[in-house]
Amino acid sequence: MALLALKEQLNVLLNSMFAEGLLDQQFQQLQMLQDGSSPGFVAEVITLFCEDSERILTELSKLLEQQVVDYQKVDAYVHQLKGSSASVGAQNVKLACAQFRQFYEENNKEGCIRALNVVKHEFYRVRNKFDNMFQLEQRIQAYDAKQQN
Amino acid sequence: MDGSTCKVLLVEDNEINRVVVRRLLGELNVRIEEADNGKAAVDFIREGRAYDLILMDKEMPIMDGHEATRQMRSLGVSTPIVALSGNSLQSDRDLFIQAGADDFLSKPLSRGKLAHILAKYGLNHGD
Repeated sequence: MALLALKEQLNVLLNSMFAEGLLDQQFQQLQMLQDGSSPGFVAEVITLFCEDSERILTELSKLLEQQVVDYQKVDAYVHQLKGSSASVGAQNVKLACAQFRQFYEENNKEGCIRALNVVKHEFYRVRNKFDNMFQLEQRIQAYDAKQQN
Repeated sequence: MDGSTCKVLLVEDNEINRVVVRRLLGELNVRIEEADNGKAAVDFIREGRAYDLILMDKEMPIMDGHEATRQMRSLGVSTPIVALSGNSLQSDRDLFIQAGADDFLSKPLSRGKLAHILAKYGLNHGD
């Protein structure tokens, strides 16, 4: 019964992530790619996404701390983050990156700083949910393994 | 053409995108080579490597997709080149077609989009 409860918690979590716009159907594409031959595929991709996103957000913060902002570099980093968030289905991060564009196109430093804060907020929001998701999956796998032994 | 021998060149600078597309194409029984910028892709062609399809991202460091496509065509490459972009603007498509691309796919890529484009160019997989 505990296993069922865990699976139900995971379902509720995933459903809420879709309902809140944190995830879109591209995440379902990733889930469909996970199978017996690649049991950790989703975790691998999401881990890569989170690490890369942290790096990009750090670089963006540094760029926007400069007196003279290199908006071309800002563009390149935001483009990269928009692309990878779209690839993993992190919808709100993708949308926040899309909104960012107008500010660096206008060379609007204050606007860029505000937009970066929105991107950070959405990224940390989805990253925390991913952490919860993987913890639940690990507990389910541990339970499954225990029951089989 | 038998899908199990079909070879695709993915030209994409974003590692996460490459990981996902690599897996998607693997599921479709397609062999894949990867280049993380346009120049690397053009160098592959200069080395004599041949492909059944080229998936070409637009914005990349060192050499972008437009320029890589132009250079490949000037080298005599007749392989279908499918442009990839996160925007689905007509202007984006037009620029890529002018550069020599045959087709356009908007990102993120899905299994369905890739299966469709493979079928369109006769690269049917065993799906």
